[in-house]
Amino acid sequence: MAFLKVFVRKAIGGLVMIFVVASFTFFLIRLMPGNPVTTKLNALLATGTPYPIALSKVSVMYGFVPNQPVWQQYLTYLGELAHFNLGESISYTGVSVTHIILSAAPWTIIMVLTGVIVSFVLGVLAGVIAAVWRNSWIGQSSTFLATFLHGIPQFMLALVLAYVFTTVWRVFPFGAPYNAAIQPGWTPAFIGSLAKHAVLPVAAYAISGYGGWALTMRSSVTSVLGDEFILAAELRGLTRGMRLRYIARNAFLPLFTTLTLSLGFMFGGSVFIESIFDYPGLGNLLTTSIGAEDYPLMQGAFLLITTAVIVANLLADLLYTAIDPRIRRA
Amino acid sequence: MATSPANVQSFYMVKRPNALAVAWKVIVKKPSRVIGLILIAIFVLMAAIGPMLYPPVLPINPLAIYAAPSFAHPLGTDFQGTDVLAEIITGARFVLLGAFFAALFTVLIGTSVGLAAGYFRKWRDSVLMRITDLFLTVPSFPLLIVLSTIWRFTSPLALGLVLGITGWAGLARAVRSQTFSLRERGFIEAARGIGLSDWHILTREIFPNIAPYIVMNLLIATTGAIYSEIGLFFLGIVPFSTNNWGVMLNMAFTQSGAMYTKSGLLYLLSPLACIMLVTFGVVLFLDAVDELLNPRLKGV
Amino acid sequence: MKSAPLRVPLSDSEIEVSIRGLSVSYQTSTGLYDAIHDLSLAIHRGSITAIIGESGSGKSTLAMAMLNSVTFPGKIRTGAIDYADVGDITGLNAESLRRFRGEHAAMVFQASQDTLNPLKRVGAQLLDMARSHGLRDRKAILREGSLLAERMSLPASRVMAAYQHELSGGMRQRVSMIFALALKPRVVLLDEPTTALDVLSQSHVLQIVRAIHEERHLTTLLITHDMGVVAELSDRVVVMYAGRIMEDAPSRDLLRAPRHPYAKALIRAIPRLTGPLDRAQALPGAPLELRQIPVVGCVFRDRCTLRQSICDEVTPTLREVAPDHRTACHLEVEA
Repeated sequence: MAFLKVFVRKAIGGLVMIFVVASFTFFLIRLMPGNPVTTKLNALLATGTPYPIALSKVSVMYGFVPNQPVWQQYLTYLGELAHFNLGESISYTGVSVTHIILSAAPWTIIMVLTGVIVSFVLGVLAGVIAAVWRNSWIGQSSTFLATFLHGIPQFMLALVLAYVFTTVWRVFPFGAPYNAAIQPGWTPAFIGSLAKHAVLPVAAYAISGYGGWALTMRSSVTSVLGDEFILAAELRGLTRGMRLRYIARNAFLPLFTTLTLSLGFMFGGSVFIESIFDYPGLGNLLTTSIGAEDYPLMQGAFLLITTAVIVANLLADLLYTAIDPRIRRA
Repeated sequence: MATSPANVQSFYMVKRPNALAVAWKVIVKKPSRVIGLILIAIFVLMAAIGPMLYPPVLPINPLAIYAAPSFAHPLGTDFQGTDVLAEIITGARFVLLGAFFAALFTVLIGTSVGLAAGYFRKWRDSVLMRITDLFLTVPSFPLLIVLSTIWRFTSPLALGLVLGITGWAGLARAVRSQTFSLRERGFIEAARGIGLSDWHILTREIFPNIAPYIVMNLLIATTGAIYSEIGLFFLGIVPFSTNNWGVMLNMAFTQSGAMYTKSGLLYLLSPLACIMLVTFGVVLFLDAVDELLNPRLKGV
Repeated sequence: MKSAPLRVPLSDSEIEVSIRGLSVSYQTSTGLYDAIHDLSLAIHRGSITAIIGESGSGKSTLAMAMLNSVTFPGKIRTGAIDYADVGDITGLNAESLRRFRGEHAAMVFQASQDTLNPLKRVGAQLLDMARSHGLRDRKAILREGSLLAERMSLPASRVMAAYQHELSGGMRQRVSMIFALALKPRVVLLDEPTTALDVLSQSHVLQIVRAIHEERHLTTLLITHDMGVVAELSDRVVVMYAGRIMEDAPSRDLLRAPRHPYAKALIRAIPRLTGPLDRAQALPGAPLELRQIPVVGCVFRDRCTLRQSICDEVTPTLREVAPDHRTACHLEVEA
């Protein structure tokens, strides 16, 4: 099982990467001008908190005891991490970072997942059109639109959408994930409000991803169309439908990996959209934690964002092996 | 045919009679390239002399908040009654300078790592590629946000350096594979065979061959850097030292309420339009650079 | 065994494919150029006809035209390609043409070409072919495929379950032959069947071609630039240059006594196994590019050692210079 060996090696590589990133954030906080751990400790002492209490509070927040030697702190931190204990938030006093992150994650997942699916489906269709009819106006305008949208930065798209559809035409509500006046629950009114508030962020995400999918699919289809086996299939008298299936499966293959990878990037890829539409997801968490100097939260959010990418990388490898016979036995 | 590296080099670095004249001919071939060049020239000029045209602190006018466009204020005024055009012109320097440094560092780090990995191979390659993979995997924008907590990058140089550090990995991979393919063409072995030093082979034989690719990437990296820069300022993560387009966007979005009023349109739109125009200019001009550097594509 | 050269004029019933006045042209930015120009050829039923010429002579274009699959920017400009019992295929509608390809005439590709869908097993792709051609008993194609595989000394069950990347070059070539023969076509076109194969595989492939040709009473067209293949396999040779037929004769006649200067030069260029190597003389000059082909006069004149003034002024026509032996050269007198 050569393949299993490769996979195990890659999985170990992934774990090493997570370890490196975790260590990086640990030492980052320690390197910071005016070390936040000591700063926090001093702040607590200044408010009159007795030293032992202040010390234990800070150690709960960061997952280690500040006046220990650094290497001992580091070991404690890693030990806590192995138990998924990311410490306590500073801005949300007394709440564990794991809890905050887990409650923010669904917002990001739902928004980005919808956005990715919409952009993927539309983009792939547009890419096929652009490749198959590349000599006619319809293919060329499809390519042009994709190139144009691909070049617009995400924050610009989100800003323009927000401005046009909430200020110029007040079609959609602006800011917040749902209407605060409605009681949250599984009621039609609440779900409707959720959906209405999600339209613009999802649209922003979908439009910003559309161009990339369309262009990738276009080049993939174009390259498969030039392959000898497509001509051979035609000369063997295969039906048009059969030939289209041959083209589609081969052109689709490279996109699967990209799709899996993009799902990994979704936690970190939505920073702008979440902050423009004030959506309480992970990207927003990362930016606000920095504004609030909530370093444990920042550390946790960043670690999760990175871990998602690493896991997605592994999944992509696995998936590709499953669908491409050329890799399977190589 | 066993071409000596010196010959190969002279083949790729043909001395043209007058490089500028050739470049000019290529540029004027298509109107789109001329437009690209003009756009770039306008913004570079803006960055070079813009801040000299206005006082260091732009005047505010509480009586003309969100004024409509007029002769005195061609793009209207902002939430403090400051001329938007003046803000755009004085804000260009930071953005372009930052983007230039960012592209420079991206290319510098990416090329060195890629060349070294591709040339030395073996353990040096695997170590360098592990590091590259790490940087490719960690999402760069969140990493930038995290880095901003220890590093208050307020100068264009510092900002450019940070953007370079977070953004070089993709280029390194590409340069590495190009170096590999040069090796497959027998380049490196031939050069070693006649006793040239590693340094000579890397800088004189390999680098000229991938230089066109790197120049293209320098330009592309500039546009990417502009986006990241503005993004950082927009999110308000980087402290504002001077006025620039990103700060304008942040102000328009968070502080001034420009997002909520139709009269703030120009204040919001002007920096966005400038970002698009710069990018557009680079992309259009890139086409000319491509033809200049890749003679094989000529006439196609 | 080689059939004796045909001496008697053929009746229509003995002709499997008849090409009349075929011109295939390519649209370029500077105009329309003929890759095949006013070409007429009768292909005898049951024969192995070799089309020979340098690259760029139009022989591959001819093969593509014979399946009516010249691709953009190329196009069949004029002419007819009549298959016995089918008629002119240039006039077929898309559906009939699709059925024609594979069922009536089929192409065997070069060993170096990847002509299989990389994501499907050989057997599954044979089934796709059966489905496309509306075979009632689809499994029959697998039996046929296995039979052919064994016939070509391939491990049948392994090949049927294999993906393209698991097959070697020589195996791919033979698998390509299985696909071509699976629907029992009457006409088989072989595109450079020995290129990219080692000497042993070459002779094996040629043996198989010869054997299956005879077993199945095929009409076989062989596109090649290898005179050795011609000598070993074909009954008849058509020499092409610049999209025109230079000479068309039974193989023995042509190999022994070529008439056209181009055919002579081609044969002189073959290295012999015996004798000094320098007896083989490379053909001087290079084949013409599409745009350089002269409209008036002989197309070969620039490389011809016997060039005369008439060659510049008058286009030679393909005439019979000996029984069943046609050539297009002013220096050859009609028989």
